Amino acid sequence: MIKRTFQLVLLLVLILNPGIRGQSAYPSTGMSGMAATAHPLASAAAIDMLKSGGNAVDAAVAAAFTIGVVEPDGSGLGGGGGMVIYLKNEQKSWFINYYGRSSERASELNFSSSRDNSTAKAIGVPGTVAGLLMAHEKFGSLPLKKVMEPAISHAEYGFPIDQTLAKLILDNIDKIMSDPATASIFLDDGFPRMEGEILVQRELGKVLRLISEQGSKGFYEGPLAESFVKGISARGGVLTEKDFASYKPELTVPLQGTYRGYDILSSNVPQSGISLIQGLNMLENFDLRASGHYSESARTLHIMAEVDKLIYADRYQYLGDPDFVDVPVAGLTSKEYARERFNGINQSKLDPPRYRDAEYGEPGVYDKNYKKEPVLEAEPAGGHTTHLSVIDKDGNAVALTQTLGLFFGSGQTVSGVLFNSAMTNFSYNAENVNYLQDSKQCRTSITPTVILKNGNPFLILGSPGASRIITTIIELVVNVIDFGMDVNEANLAPRFYCQKFEDYLHVESGIKPEVRAELEWMGHPVKVYEGIDLFFGGAQMIYVDPTTGEYSGSADKRRGGIAIGY
Amino acid sequence: MKTGISTIVTIMILFLAGSSLLAQKFEQPVLISSAGQSADVKLVKMLAQRQGLNATTVLMAKPDDLTGFKTLVIVPGFSSKGLGAAGISQQDEIERVQSLIKAANNLKIPIVLMHIGGNARRQGQSDSFNQLVADNSKYMLVVKQGDEDGFFSSIASTKNIPLTLVEKIAETAEPLGNLFK
Repeated sequence: MIKRTFQLVLLLVLILNPGIRGQSAYPSTGMSGMAATAHPLASAAAIDMLKSGGNAVDAAVAAAFTIGVVEPDGSGLGGGGGMVIYLKNEQKSWFINYYGRSSERASELNFSSSRDNSTAKAIGVPGTVAGLLMAHEKFGSLPLKKVMEPAISHAEYGFPIDQTLAKLILDNIDKIMSDPATASIFLDDGFPRMEGEILVQRELGKVLRLISEQGSKGFYEGPLAESFVKGISARGGVLTEKDFASYKPELTVPLQGTYRGYDILSSNVPQSGISLIQGLNMLENFDLRASGHYSESARTLHIMAEVDKLIYADRYQYLGDPDFVDVPVAGLTSKEYARERFNGINQSKLDPPRYRDAEYGEPGVYDKNYKKEPVLEAEPAGGHTTHLSVIDKDGNAVALTQTLGLFFGSGQTVSGVLFNSAMTNFSYNAENVNYLQDSKQCRTSITPTVILKNGNPFLILGSPGASRIITTIIELVVNVIDFGMDVNEANLAPRFYCQKFEDYLHVESGIKPEVRAELEWMGHPVKVYEGIDLFFGGAQMIYVDPTTGEYSGSADKRRGGIAIGY
Repeated sequence: MKTGISTIVTIMILFLAGSSLLAQKFEQPVLISSAGQSADVKLVKMLAQRQGLNATTVLMAKPDDLTGFKTLVIVPGFSSKGLGAAGISQQDEIERVQSLIKAANNLKIPIVLMHIGGNARRQGQSDSFNQLVADNSKYMLVVKQGDEDGFFSSIASTKNIPLTLVEKIAETAEPLGNLFK
């Protein structure tokens, strides 16, 4: 009763102030639990679970199902993701890869990312339901019905559209209008629903209720799966009932690295923890603190931008589905390879003068099992996602990032479920490691991460933002570890982004003008974003004070959301 | 209370500006363009179609595009996605809109502001476009949520520009059509 009241009060706050998401950061502290998500109702769902005696996994799963309802632009049942779990008492960590896969008939598609990204051809087999249910079954403690209750309630009874969602509906109006089923959810009388209106998703509520009663089978088999296949097929897609029935998330271990005495646990390949670890390994060769913060030191920012450029060059060359291609994981994450790559950086100017001319390295030298795979190609821009971080009273931690691909995914809704655009993340060059093949996972930028200090969670973080995710996470980590910022300062600090397949060094205007001028003098083509910008992601972070054990959370002002602790 | 004040302000603005509203004639054909490259302009195109207006939409209209048109409808609202798709910077877009407005004024083509995006197209980078277009308009049609702080009402009052506020996007169709009757 108390929990329901808590949710209703939060809902009331939202109704009275529907612009709450996206207007300011909400730092929070607590000793017994903390949840940082991109929407207050998802954070509230997580805290409800913790206060009901659930653990961090119960809370994360509840928040993940809820965020798919209240932030339907970024994730949902029709998408996929990745989750790093750290169980403190057992000192064990796990990674659940529940990103989508291509259809067993994907090679029949003749898919064009530019032409087909908002069609049923873009849909991959969704993994969110299977992944969240696997996490709950293996590590949760509360009944599934209890965990899914907030999501069902918000779908069936509705919630007020906030400013972020209202803006995204407007910005993606063509995609939403392209499918009558999607339009019926987000439009009213043919025009966008606006901030403050109550968005009810009854059909989605029915699907959630079915999952809560029947589990994974209710979604991947039987009448619902048949209706998905029928609807997707009628729109030109190729997903089969076998694709749905055979989808299995992967329970493995996180990719592990270290950074200045901290242990990094992040998403395993083909997700992008590998690029985070490589980038941090390279930066270990440079005294960031002595050089000064990147918003005030052109040299620091230049070095970090050069590191970004090189890790992206390697990522495009080597990162693909390990079931299909040989990924030199040991080489890419080795300290020796990182040192070699770092030593190749010209510390005084942009070299070569175009980011696109950055060359990939040879991590295979440091990886005796690696067999070379050729050809470099950029992944398409886009990728609009959500992240949530949770910790419970026992110090168990979850970092979870999930996505529909592009905002509103493929734009195709079948039986109340908005489906992903995962196919847009594949390469269509047969020589590339990320080439589209049947039943394959694409490379993805998502990087949910847990950082430990002496076996205790220290930082739990992640972000949406497509290819900006990796650079954003690196900046957040150095802001806390190297520059000693608290979690909210780190999250609010100005950001920058560049990579191999970019023509600009994108910077927020908080990077000092004299720093920008010096960077231009060094050869960087600087593009400035006034204030802060959603372009650079929307990180949700939790920091654990190593001395007091107090939790501090921060929801990113760029994306909005709220961190709630108790 | 806030709504009540807003309604009174609206009525007052319409009353004070009534004479200029009656005096100002809006004729077809209509050129619709964006200021800030938000997708809102596509919705205004739909609204104009619903009203059967003789209207042409040019997202990045330039002074030469005004030839043959008798009214210019500008839809302000910043979209980084839209600017990115157009391959231009915010400054490029401001300069384009300034030149379009200047040309329309020289040709005595009246400008109608249509702000339909509510809070999503207010503050931040949107308001530089909102201000620019509002200051130069002969009539403003605004979804009320975008005027919660009185931004458009204040400009309308100061510059004696007729302003119509409506609750929903769909409700802008009728007053838009009425401008040309």
